[in-house]
Amino acid sequence: MKPIDRRNFLKNSLLGVAAVSFADPQLLAAQTAARGAASSEAPGIIDTNVNLFDWPFRALKYRSTKALVAKLKKHRIIEAWAGSFEALLSKDMNGVNARLAAECREHGPGFLIPFGSVNLAWPDWEEDVRRCHEVHKMPGLRIYPGYQPFDLDHPGMESLVKMTSEHGLILQVVFGMEDPRVHHPIINVGPVTFGPLLKAVRGIPNAKVQLLHFSGSGQGEDLSQFMAQSNTSMDISRLEGNGAVGRMIGSAQGLPSAHVPVDRIVFGSHAPYFPVETAILKLIESPLDVQQLQAIMRGNARRLLPRTR
Amino acid sequence: MTPREFFLNPADYGLPTRDELVAYRIWDNHFHGFASANPIEQYERNNFFVERMGIERSIAQEVGGTLEEPFAPYPFDAAILKILERDKDRLSGRTPIDPGFPDESCAKIEKWIRNGPCIGIKYPGTGKKAVTCSHPNNDPIMRLAVELDVHVYIHTWLKVGGKPRLPGGDNSPSESTPMDVAKLAQRFPQVAIICGHTGGDWELGVRAVRPYNNVLMEFAGSDPHSGMVDYAISELGVDRLVWGGHGPSRSYATELGKVLDADISKADRKKIFGGNLRRISASIFRKKGMKIEP
Repeated sequence: MKPIDRRNFLKNSLLGVAAVSFADPQLLAAQTAARGAASSEAPGIIDTNVNLFDWPFRALKYRSTKALVAKLKKHRIIEAWAGSFEALLSKDMNGVNARLAAECREHGPGFLIPFGSVNLAWPDWEEDVRRCHEVHKMPGLRIYPGYQPFDLDHPGMESLVKMTSEHGLILQVVFGMEDPRVHHPIINVGPVTFGPLLKAVRGIPNAKVQLLHFSGSGQGEDLSQFMAQSNTSMDISRLEGNGAVGRMIGSAQGLPSAHVPVDRIVFGSHAPYFPVETAILKLIESPLDVQQLQAIMRGNARRLLPRTR
Repeated sequence: MTPREFFLNPADYGLPTRDELVAYRIWDNHFHGFASANPIEQYERNNFFVERMGIERSIAQEVGGTLEEPFAPYPFDAAILKILERDKDRLSGRTPIDPGFPDESCAKIEKWIRNGPCIGIKYPGTGKKAVTCSHPNNDPIMRLAVELDVHVYIHTWLKVGGKPRLPGGDNSPSESTPMDVAKLAQRFPQVAIICGHTGGDWELGVRAVRPYNNVLMEFAGSDPHSGMVDYAISELGVDRLVWGGHGPSRSYATELGKVLDADISKADRKKIFGGNLRRISASIFRKKGMKIEP
């Protein structure tokens, strides 16, 4: 069995999986090794977690949107949901969102999908939700609690989940941007507590809420209950440890699992802060079958955000 | 699924195939396979990923005791020794010491390196006393390292915190910083010292050790930051970098991504992935009767 191409990938063939499971491992290795060159038939990936513009504390290698788009495409990313680093520390969120929308249009129309942001701690954030939806035609919002000075127990949180649900928007909740141990000493990023988010989504069953850069560890039953909601998901950018993606969904034998259903896991790289290579390697490192790969690389994200263009 | 079964061809995604990873001859400088309440089970289970990602050799960081209790009898020592012998073609070990206890540390080095299988000294960041690697207590340990011609690995971090809030201000009392490593390296320029975790904060850590050519920076056990390897090469040169997987608590994917992100030649990647570690370990491997290809 060769590694999948796009046609076979889309067929989502159970027969294919069965055939592979009985194949000779040495033959498989030889076949894999023989494929040195890239195939234009390989299925693409939807990256649900990139950010544009300047990280406030370092000049990132792919900080230029043009360079980032080229880098993502080099690794067969076919669509990238883009937030803005400017949203972390800015007060003028309307300006942040307008620049993000323009940047996506200029450098990646149909490829970079802008996810604007609102800051619950700032006044009139509801108007920013409206503008993202109606003016900029964004399909979703991304919030950065901790950097934006509120936690998920903020009184506006339930309203935000409700508003995004009513507008059919995806709400991405970022659980961190970098290891707190290497924060610049001048900032003191607040904690982000998961529990209140579960409470917020419970009353709004159709809310599309995605956890970004979420480790998945230490949440116990809360994570299971969250993922039991109908439109919740999480990206893989923060999953850590050998076989982490497989462990999360229970496909890595002998390893403890959070048993998150595979249809709730989406690809996210956290580029350009993290190398995009890291997230793709996680898919290769974990023992994942064709259907699981299809779901994580593209299917689950496409279900959340059907392509309408 | 077997370790060599893949449903994605990495080359299709701009990444090295397994065979290409094997060709890099990857030596994992930072392996925590035995750091577990069930170390043997964990080690054996992790071999799936070692095989899958094409790792040639792993250097276990805790052979002889544990990082927290380096001098206490450890019930798994005998089993780990058997595995070291069984898997000697792909597994080596460092033995942890504690500079708060220099005599005990030297005795442990005698037992586990001079008279045992280990190929390096490991400084954990969990010592019992507030003694870091720059303290004079370290001098007899380093003199023994010189005598044995063995490299020294030092866990370092620069955890932000304290009052005033600064990098390193939240380190534990025995946890070394890259600045501690720099002081030690200045006193012992003939010892190859590996500064663990790139100092914790790589932008600062690299600069702290830059003047000391006997210090190598390790990329392992920290988040993958795009550009970090390019930066280290520009400041230190490619011959002073080593790579570690820090598995199983970290992912090989995380750690490999750091080096694959860098704009460097395959030859330079090969140095980081293993060539540099083989260079500084050649002498001790020779003493153990093991010839290693550079």
